[in-house]
Amino acid sequence: MGKKINYAYASLRERLRCEWLIYLLAFVFILIADAIGQIKIPVWKGTFIIFPIFYALFLGLLTGPSILKILDDKKVKAASGLVGVAILPFIAKLGINASANIKIVVSAGPALLLQEFGNLGTIFLAMPIALLLGLKRESIGAAHSINRETNLALMQDMFGASSPEAQGSLSVYIVGGMIGTIYFGFMASMAAAMNVFHPYALGMASGVGAGILMSSAVASLSEVLPAYAEEIAALASASETISGIDGIYIAIFIGIPLCNWLYRKLEPTLGRVTKAGRRAAEELERQAAQERSR
Amino acid sequence: MRKQEWIFTLALAGLGMMVANFIGFDVAFSQSLPGVLVLLVISAAAAFLSWLIPLKLPTVAYCSILGLLCACPISPISEFVIQSVGQINFTAPLTMVGAFAGMSISNQIKQFVKQGWKMIVISVLVMTGTFFGSLVIAQVMLQLTGTI
Repeated sequence: MGKKINYAYASLRERLRCEWLIYLLAFVFILIADAIGQIKIPVWKGTFIIFPIFYALFLGLLTGPSILKILDDKKVKAASGLVGVAILPFIAKLGINASANIKIVVSAGPALLLQEFGNLGTIFLAMPIALLLGLKRESIGAAHSINRETNLALMQDMFGASSPEAQGSLSVYIVGGMIGTIYFGFMASMAAAMNVFHPYALGMASGVGAGILMSSAVASLSEVLPAYAEEIAALASASETISGIDGIYIAIFIGIPLCNWLYRKLEPTLGRVTKAGRRAAEELERQAAQERSR
Repeated sequence: MRKQEWIFTLALAGLGMMVANFIGFDVAFSQSLPGVLVLLVISAAAAFLSWLIPLKLPTVAYCSILGLLCACPISPISEFVIQSVGQINFTAPLTMVGAFAGMSISNQIKQFVKQGWKMIVISVLVMTGTFFGSLVIAQVMLQLTGTI
């Protein structure tokens, strides 16, 4: 078939020549991380569980151009492509888990579909605080969704890469990548400790359209609710798959319009309550005045 | 990626899974192998489908759906699939993902430090809001439909 694709490498051999060091490091990190294994730290009623994935992530962070300089920018980019390959077997496993518990997934069907809209909860929680902290249009990009790869691409596409909206999205993307894996799992185990939510609901909420965050939540939940481990993984996987498909449409048709509307409503009030907010508003007005006088 | 690049990188991921399953959970390579092969075949098929079908669905969506189909009650191989993949511990495939993910954001550390505390607070709220929003709706819906 005559599809034209721009390949990143001229051949498999060229890929190997560029990436062998990445593979080697990954295997070394697996040896170290899985030899350490899980570490559990009880915090209040929840459990702070650190999984091998987190040590591997941390070791990977150290290798980059900012710290140990083992990897250059080209290899960093190559590693990001490999994430997409290495996650596939895991996703396949989740699909199989869901299927092995198909009865629960089907009986939870209506809840599973509706809870997708709950992913918009970020807007109501993060947007007002972002305005209080003095963010302006950045808050729209930052708060509109969980801000993983597809959302970042969407914001850059809709508003332009240098727009404040895309910058806000990028910031949350970066911070989420650094702290998300550990925080998301911890938060899920705290939610379980509240004893208010059913394990099924916890499983569904874990699938937010970010594979690595979902894994962290499911792994933590399976530790604190071992009797429900199968069902949690099944529902999380189903929810993750649905989010992966509908997430971008929810952002386009609901998330971003809702953010724009909330911004218009809240910015003139909440956005001027704090000193940081007033200062940012004055700065924007000054810039706008300069634009006009030019 | 070309066919041979997919096969090579997936095989690498499979090896990583087996190493993690052995080091972390004492599951022998020979015991992991059937499950790993099942997962790799599904992944390769998903990559092929996403190339073949002109829909803009992410490869992970195909992967999940294929996994679902292989293990569903009407699949003739469901028992073998469920049993063999059951040998692979949940977190075993993830260590390698973490290693690559860490490397892939290792050039963003300076930007991360520059973001300052405000962006960290907001990111935590974004994750919390996304999770709890779904959680509350899921809980209410499960109760309304009498599932729990």
